[in-house]
Amino acid sequence: MLANLGDWLNDRFGWRGIWEAIFLRKVPHVNWFYTLGSASLFVAINQAITGILLTLYYVPTPDHAYDSVVYITTQLPFGWLIRGLHHWGASAMVVLVVLHLLRVFFYGAYKFPREATWMTGVILLIVVIGFGFTGYLLPWDQRAYWATTVGTRIAGVAPYVGDFLLKIARGGPELSAVTLARFFGTHIWVLPTTLALLVVIHLYLVIRVGISAVPAKDE
Amino acid sequence: MSESDKEGKEVGRRNFMKMTIVGIGGLITAAFGIPAVAYVMGPALKQSVGEWIQLGSVTKVETGIPTLFKTVIQTQTGWITTDEEFSVYVLTEDGQNYVAMSNVCTHLGCRVRWVADQNGFFCPCHNGAFAKDGTVTGGPPPRPLDRFESKVENDILFVKRG
Ligand code: HEM
Ligand code: FES
Repeated sequence: MLANLGDWLNDRFGWRGIWEAIFLRKVPHVNWFYTLGSASLFVAINQAITGILLTLYYVPTPDHAYDSVVYITTQLPFGWLIRGLHHWGASAMVVLVVLHLLRVFFYGAYKFPREATWMTGVILLIVVIGFGFTGYLLPWDQRAYWATTVGTRIAGVAPYVGDFLLKIARGGPELSAVTLARFFGTHIWVLPTTLALLVVIHLYLVIRVGISAVPAKDE
Repeated sequence: MSESDKEGKEVGRRNFMKMTIVGIGGLITAAFGIPAVAYVMGPALKQSVGEWIQLGSVTKVETGIPTLFKTVIQTQTGWITTDEEFSVYVLTEDGQNYVAMSNVCTHLGCRVRWVADQNGFFCPCHNGAFAKDGTVTGGPPPRPLDRFESKVENDILFVKRG
């Protein structure tokens, strides 16, 4: 019955071919360091699920942001868990992506024909850091406020365009409701769509080119 | 080892891997799914505790005519405390027993009002009509106006909000 349904769907969608290309492709004999990319992807999915759940209660205005976060962690069932997963996942994400980058770097896996995979990877790293930076402000507590004050001030010291960049980041000369709203919008719309798009390209390239083998000792 | 033996072993390992992946996948799904459902439903399942609300002096209630009491109560929704207007119609026929009725229409929740000329409650949304004791006299409302438990202490009227 289920097999028949699978066949019926496969005849119209051809999904088995896609399945085989993704999961039954030939890979060289590799080691655990090759799981770092998949680990990054796993944490990214964790961030997406817990992040969506947080938006059900979080409100990005100076009046309510902090109170809504306190409500999530103290009043809601498993709110502490959902927020905790998102909070620690954010740090884990940066660590894993950097370790993945180091694996690729030290194995020379960025070389032809994988330069494009590397380049999409570099943008992914920037996106991940962007997530961390914009997300840090959202609780709107003292730490968030001052961290973002400092963080945006760093953009401000760039020669010539610094002041302009600082105002763009803050949506004005000072941190305000405008800053919080644009950080939130960036955090939940701009960066996730960019990340999803880049991950699709990144993984398409990984599958198309195939994974590099562990370099031999004398290579 | 014969060729078929080796194949049998391969299939065994394959199945084992499949079951392990499905098993672990199921555990992870449950680990996310169960807290997520509880988290989403949490505020909806919260039980409100009945509290006595002070309406005012019973002397205000005219015999045989529903009298409107309005009071402002504070409610806590999520992380916000709001002032909410709370209205109750109180009716007495003998000056001793009081009936406290909600002004919320039992059809779809609009507010009913007492129309003295017609000696009844009227709901503007879909022309619901109720007698002075709250029974339905016309329109779509399915049941009489809801009643509150009430008490009088030192000539002050209280109702219990559920
Ligand atoms: C959101 C972040 C990222 C995700 C989800 C991700 C995911 C993956 C996955 C699943 C693989 C398969 C092989 C493996 O896991 O090692 C891979 C390969 C690769 N990644 Fe990433 N990656 C990310 C970020 C990066 C970064 C920051 C770089 C470097 C700048 C990078 C460069 C590469 C390259 C060159 C390969 C091919 C390696 C090979 O063929 O051996 N990736 N990525
Ligand atoms: S809500 Fe009162 S009649 Fe429909």
